[in-house]
Amino acid sequence: MPNAEYQRLTRSRSRGGFAVAAVTRTSLWLGADHLLVINSNGYTETYKRFYFRDIQAITTQQTNRWKIWSVVWIGLFAVCALVLIVGLFEVAHRPMQSDDFIGFFGWGIPAAFFFIGFLINYFRGPTALVQLRTAVQTETLPSLGRVRQTRKVLEKVLPLILAAQGQLSAAEISAGLSAAIPPTSPQSEHVPPVMS
Amino acid sequence: MSAQVPCPKCRVPLLPEACNQPEMTPCPGCRVPLQVNLFPACFRKINPGKNGEAVMVEGESSCFYHPAKKAVLPCDSCGRFLCALCDCELNGRHFCPACLETGKTKGKIKSLDNQRTLYDSIALALAVYPLLIFYFTVITAPMSLFLAIRYWKSPLGLVRRSKIRFVIAIILALLQLTGWVILFIALANGRHT
Repeated sequence: MPNAEYQRLTRSRSRGGFAVAAVTRTSLWLGADHLLVINSNGYTETYKRFYFRDIQAITTQQTNRWKIWSVVWIGLFAVCALVLIVGLFEVAHRPMQSDDFIGFFGWGIPAAFFFIGFLINYFRGPTALVQLRTAVQTETLPSLGRVRQTRKVLEKVLPLILAAQGQLSAAEISAGLSAAIPPTSPQSEHVPPVMS
Repeated sequence: MSAQVPCPKCRVPLLPEACNQPEMTPCPGCRVPLQVNLFPACFRKINPGKNGEAVMVEGESSCFYHPAKKAVLPCDSCGRFLCALCDCELNGRHFCPACLETGKTKGKIKSLDNQRTLYDSIALALAVYPLLIFYFTVITAPMSLFLAIRYWKSPLGLVRRSKIRFVIAIILALLQLTGWVILFIALANGRHT
């Protein structure tokens, strides 16, 4: 049933990157003039609103979690597959027994499970850490866990933020960021600190 | 607040060239691929708070909470005159501190609603989980039924409106209670015969 007030941007996802069965789950929703982050433990929900006019920056950082999970899945698959191959070689020299079938299923089903896990992780693409910054806080958005998913969400959200705030030119960015970095004088670098 | 945007990983301030690019660019500090979308709010100056002007002319409207301060506008909720210090602006509307607090506690101002209890989920959990150890249902089934009826009209989550959990909880609780009643009747009849 569609919700008139909010549009779902991401599914509910655990807050920790590796915490598959974490208690608190978070999801991202699009409102008329704000983004809504919902943190839920199943029995209570807490809400954080980020109004489009207040959002200063959204940073998307590619992480290694994708590669680590791929190695974990393929490693587990390799162990199961190795046992299966050794078993097949052994069975090839003698007639099949009922225990052999149990062994094949016992190692074959986990091998298939790990391989499917690897494929899902691989095709979902690189993982990401997304942070949303306002004047008073920097909030990590755990529900945006993949680069591809983040791009899809940003395609919907960026036009709304730009409509609320306007576009920044390259010159404005350059001037704004340069002004924030204090110039360092070469003389002051050699002056020892004064203890008071 | 500085307008520096640091890398989330190494905290090195990012260069202007790395911002608002269509693709990811490596961080100058840690070389991690990054995409930074900057918006005008990043360079907007934050307006300092106002103290409120003192009443200078006899008979001039003054603030309800600070009679010595000049009123600048009325509260959108209660209509009391407010000085610049007492004016709490929220999404273009102006409230006095008392109405803001009331709106938050009573849930009248929806944009201040930052937490909700999901009574439907609690009722359903009370109806389902105790089935693992059936004896507990003699206590939990009435509790589930009470919660479902008591909070039937209370607002659910901000983005969830279906009462299906309440309905399932009521059905399960009624079935469990019916089971207990039948069991007690059967036990009572068995004792008499």
